[in-house]
Amino acid sequence: MDFAQNLSNAIILGCTYLLMAAGLTMVYGVLKVLHIAHASVYTIGAFVGVLVYSWVGNFWLSLLIAMIFSGVFGILIYRFSYYYLLDVPRTVPLIASIGLFVMLTDLLQKPFLMGPYQRAFPAGGAGLPRIDTPWFSITSKQLLIFSVTIVLMVLVYLLLTRTRIGLGWQAASLDREMAAAVGINLNRIIALNFFIGSALAGAAGVLVGIYNNSVFATMGDLPSYKAFIIIVLGGMGSLPGAILASLLLAIVENFLVASIGYVLPRDSIAFLVLILMLMFRPHGLLGQE
Amino acid sequence: MLRVENLHIGYGQIEILHGVSLDVKENEIVAVLGANGAGKSTLIKTLIGWLKPRSGEIYLNEEPIQQLPPWQRIAKGIGLVPETGRIFRDLSVEDNLRLGAYLQSEAIIKEQFQVVYELFPILAERRKQTAKTLSGGEQQMLAIGRAMMSNPRLLLVDEVSMGLMPILVKRVLQVIGELRNHQVSVLLVEQNAYEALKIVDRAYILENGHLVLQGTPQELQENPKVKAAYLGG
Repeated sequence: MDFAQNLSNAIILGCTYLLMAAGLTMVYGVLKVLHIAHASVYTIGAFVGVLVYSWVGNFWLSLLIAMIFSGVFGILIYRFSYYYLLDVPRTVPLIASIGLFVMLTDLLQKPFLMGPYQRAFPAGGAGLPRIDTPWFSITSKQLLIFSVTIVLMVLVYLLLTRTRIGLGWQAASLDREMAAAVGINLNRIIALNFFIGSALAGAAGVLVGIYNNSVFATMGDLPSYKAFIIIVLGGMGSLPGAILASLLLAIVENFLVASIGYVLPRDSIAFLVLILMLMFRPHGLLGQE
Repeated sequence: MLRVENLHIGYGQIEILHGVSLDVKENEIVAVLGANGAGKSTLIKTLIGWLKPRSGEIYLNEEPIQQLPPWQRIAKGIGLVPETGRIFRDLSVEDNLRLGAYLQSEAIIKEQFQVVYELFPILAERRKQTAKTLSGGEQQMLAIGRAMMSNPRLLLVDEVSMGLMPILVKRVLQVIGELRNHQVSVLLVEQNAYEALKIVDRAYILENGHLVLQGTPQELQENPKVKAAYLGG
């Protein structure tokens, strides 16, 4: 029973990792930029979500608005920073990204935005039921996270594999220059890429905010590095790899904590896994050598 | 079709092409021949829009295009077969071809699939395979097929013979010669002057960033300088 319960908890945790890592992988795939400021988008998504929820009291509407806002914000980040850094060594946009992340976190802590407080996000499970089986239980919040993640990922998958613009996205992440030379408008593809990736990060922020019933300005600190570990584990730029790595990392974290307890802080386990991975399989689970 | 005037191109401090002017007429196949490092690929990269020229003009059907990004040049009827093919290795043969027609309507895509599969029956056979599993020659054919998918008016071909076995060089160049029947003009840059001169209407010789000679294949084959430098005596 413990095993099944641990596994189901791990999968829910993995879902939140997945939403963050998917967007990051997409940005890396096309721009080869390690987009640290992605974690700011996550925080902003949660903030917009909690604000809208406090006005209208409807979870679905607040999720939708938070995702759209995050998506547009992601496009703005691209247009006003990385856009100017496309042809310089890849460390330059990385530094820009770290700067942007620090600046946005500081800005969000100002009293006229989020301030130094934690806000409650009492959306509960948005009316979804609780599931009890003899082996494990899923709370309604967990069911909400799980179902929203699955629906969003299926939509992204269909967009990327069944549409022309999705094929263009795949081409751009394989060879950006050549993609332009078959007629792909790179600016449009990259904007779409940032919109989708950032909307997913916003959704992750909302869901985690609800799960912990807490939204605060520095909530992006942890995901900012954990999402990176996940895309390195999965193989840089590989979307299936990121999905696999999100679930594996969540499972490893949950089971280690459940079996040997808190020998280490829980969030340091990700680094242990990263070090092992870099030693034995440096190109990641599904990455190209 | 294509007219290039006094093009100067360089990277950083170094100038590669020092004032190149050339033209390609409707339905004409033209080669720019030259040794390694003469600046042939630089010319193609500038024509497609990957590089910005320092000065000079590029006209497609008398319309200046040097300010346009690559995708808009494709929309105006240019197709590119880049150096080493640069197919999308992890995608299927069919997806590669479909990408070649990214800006076309479904009706044209259907038509062009037929044209390309007729040119290269082997691609039809392998359409579900991942592109990287093709042989070197097949990958080069896929690169040509991909460029033909947009039904281009002008095809730019960069060193298509590079890295191929002699027998394949012949075959691939022959196919490019046959593109005459598809109402497409071709600008071909090539190191293998001997094989290229068999299929073109006209050729330029590029040396150290200058076009030093031009003429029909016959004129060039009889020129003693060309004979000595490019045709092995």
